[in-house]
Amino acid sequence: MQQTNRLRPFFENLTFDRDDNHMVINFGPQHPSAHGQLRLILELDGEEVVKANPDIGYLHRGMEKMAENMIYNEFLPTTDRMDYIASSSNNYGFALAVEKLLGIEDKVPRRAKVIRTMLLELNRIISHQFWLATHALDVGAMSVFLYAFREREWGLDLIEDYCGARLTHSAIRIGGVPLDLPEGWTDNLAKYLDKVERAVKEDYEALLDENRIWKMRLENVGIIDKEMARSWAVSGIMLRGSGFEWDLRKEMPYELYEELDFDIPISDKMDSYGRYKLYMEEIRQSVRILRQLIPMYHESEPQLMANVPQYISPTKEEQMTQNYSLMQHFVLVTQGMRPPVGEVYVATESPKGELGFYINSQGEPYPYRLKIRAPSFFHTGILQDLLVGCQLADVVTIIGSTNIVFGEVDR
Amino acid sequence: MRPYRPKDNVQKKAYYNDRFYVTPQIPKDDPASDEVYSKDIEKLQSKFSISESYIQRGELVIYIDPDSNVEVLEFLKDELDYSFLMEMSAVDFLAQREGFEIFYELLSLSKRKRIRVKTFIKENQAIESVQHLFRSANFAEREMFDMFGIQVNNHPYLKRILMPDDWEGYPLRKTYPLQGDEFAQWYEVDKIFGKEARDIVGPEIRDSAHIDRYDTERFARLGHEVPRGTDISKDEPDTDNHEFQEEGGVFLIKDLNKPQKVLSEKERRER
Amino acid sequence: MAQHQVNYGQDAGLPVALTTIDKIVNWGRSNSLWVLTYGLACCGIEMMASGASRYDFDRFGTIFRASPRQAEVMVIAGTLTKKHAEFIRRLYDQMAEPKWVISMGSCANTGGMFNTYATVQGADRVVPVDIYLPGCAPRPETLQYAVMMLQKKIRREPANRNRNLKQKRFV
Ligand code: SF4
Repeated sequence: MQQTNRLRPFFENLTFDRDDNHMVINFGPQHPSAHGQLRLILELDGEEVVKANPDIGYLHRGMEKMAENMIYNEFLPTTDRMDYIASSSNNYGFALAVEKLLGIEDKVPRRAKVIRTMLLELNRIISHQFWLATHALDVGAMSVFLYAFREREWGLDLIEDYCGARLTHSAIRIGGVPLDLPEGWTDNLAKYLDKVERAVKEDYEALLDENRIWKMRLENVGIIDKEMARSWAVSGIMLRGSGFEWDLRKEMPYELYEELDFDIPISDKMDSYGRYKLYMEEIRQSVRILRQLIPMYHESEPQLMANVPQYISPTKEEQMTQNYSLMQHFVLVTQGMRPPVGEVYVATESPKGELGFYINSQGEPYPYRLKIRAPSFFHTGILQDLLVGCQLADVVTIIGSTNIVFGEVDR
Repeated sequence: MRPYRPKDNVQKKAYYNDRFYVTPQIPKDDPASDEVYSKDIEKLQSKFSISESYIQRGELVIYIDPDSNVEVLEFLKDELDYSFLMEMSAVDFLAQREGFEIFYELLSLSKRKRIRVKTFIKENQAIESVQHLFRSANFAEREMFDMFGIQVNNHPYLKRILMPDDWEGYPLRKTYPLQGDEFAQWYEVDKIFGKEARDIVGPEIRDSAHIDRYDTERFARLGHEVPRGTDISKDEPDTDNHEFQEEGGVFLIKDLNKPQKVLSEKERRER
Repeated sequence: MAQHQVNYGQDAGLPVALTTIDKIVNWGRSNSLWVLTYGLACCGIEMMASGASRYDFDRFGTIFRASPRQAEVMVIAGTLTKKHAEFIRRLYDQMAEPKWVISMGSCANTGGMFNTYATVQGADRVVPVDIYLPGCAPRPETLQYAVMMLQKKIRREPANRNRNLKQKRFV
């Protein structure tokens, strides 16, 4: 027989003595279509939502506190666990922020830049496919889930070939990348790109674009107008779906995006269907970018890490042959680099939106304060306004179309 | 004697500091050096008191009065088109200056520029909410309250957001240890089983290298397994060899029970 | 009709197998493990991947259920935080006996890399765990291996085992 515990029924911030006919339902924190640990307290009038109150923090793991107790290089693997659908984009956001803090972002060698951009775009494809899979599953299209996961696995294979991990890559380091691409990787990548392009057109879009159920559940649902988008500081596809032409890759270019030729799709439909179209279009643009990167990779010099002995460990070869380099490496690993005093806020365009890192450094090897601006945090906040007035059945599709990831929301 | 550790900042410190090391500063440029920023700062200075302004790593930073934060942000939003509040939070300076530094990160889409508005408040001072200008501040201010305990006036729903409602302490203050105070360490046990269960469940094991040979709840010695929870502190019962591998075992995983033959030097070389 | 007649006396044609009740009950149980989806963090994504196309979990008779009342295995996939801890206990209590718990990933095992104020240092402080699955994040194959180990464990135990022993640590 099982012993009982002390838990009482959980009625926190719910009031039951009410005069109106409203009903309060509790959605989450463990709900299969809540995309993680979102708890929504919904007040319903019949089928219509009159009040929505997102309750987050069920995945708060104290990352910002951890950062204050870690040297900069030590913290990098932790950033993997934020937006775990596209880990490399977090690694990159953090690495770029530290590079800006140190002032060495121009010293990153070209080959490292190519590899980083490749990883970022590959992550974008994988993340969008994952979004499509889960979103379609929530709407009820199980077969799309299986197709999208099939292609996602192929993308993960590529990443696994490069860095050995499927989910938590840590493949981008401060000052460069640790490894060169394995032999034949770019050929595999080219094959993969063909498959993805075909899959987008012949599987996802063929199944969904004109699908009546898909259209009825997404069109004119979850409308984010311009004022709401501005006020909630949404970013990424949510922003472009509301008719703003804003992509950090184009507007404030970082890495190699200045040299690359790609378009920023925008949509002024403002609803979930418009955003779905954008996701599909972005996969195509990423494929286009990756195709341009393959020749760039072959033209570049094989240097991988920036040569800044003050902050970045020397290469393995130098460590093994030169005494002073070995000492330097030892100091950098045990004590960490000491960046200058100051603060930076660096934002990159992650698959979810604007991912920013605010670093306040007091010259110590540990950051004095690190604040992560996670796009999903604000995309969860917007549910307060977005869900009001919609039907109960639409709640799940709206949450799906915001593409929130809870590792990032709660950090 | 235990070494003295300051209580106002319990974060990890560098264990070695070079006596002659002078920390460099990130250069602060004059706002007049950038044409967009120079116009903005001129307009701002004509209306508000800006105590300090500079450009650091390509971003304008201004320091304002804590009382005027709503007016400044409103001016920035309506007149200067910095209409996105991307981020806001605080930095703990309680030990050095007895207060918090609050920063607002604003973004202008039309100018493609960011501006950081900073202000300093004392420990028990409250700050005015800006959530009627930027709804994104609604969540951000709640997070700031949750993590630092900074009161925000006129916020519609100022409650803890990331931590549970009945949490004690403000996790991101420098006085709060990384691994939590006593309340935090027993939180889930107290809540689920009650305080009496503390003895049964036992304290948290925070040492990641912890191994206890006699703890049969959590550890099993390979090849000497006993049923879970057996007391082996006195004499270890002889266990008959556990059959762990069915049907020929798993690829690459060695069967520990198999008597291993010691190879002679010659045999080893031949392998 | 005559040609369809079964000759029971013929060589081992008897459609009867002799076994113990324990064995047949455990055989049924172990081959239709219904798993409660408990994706908490990154490991939850790998759990989803093991249910999806390439790693197809249905081959093991393992089907993901969204309700604890229909599930018998809880895969704690991800970081268990202090705020969430009470809910995991709630859901565990709602599951019907017999029930098993797989703790997936270092976070659920020991707190993993998150040695902080907000993380429960091991899900076994809250619910009893049967299988600990190391890795950060464990690959889908690892989860499948864990389910196979669990099946083996189920087959070894008596069918009506008393679970009091496991509960002892928990008031
Ligand atoms: S074990 Fe690793 S992958 Fe799994 S939840 Fe924890 S941090 Fe994420």
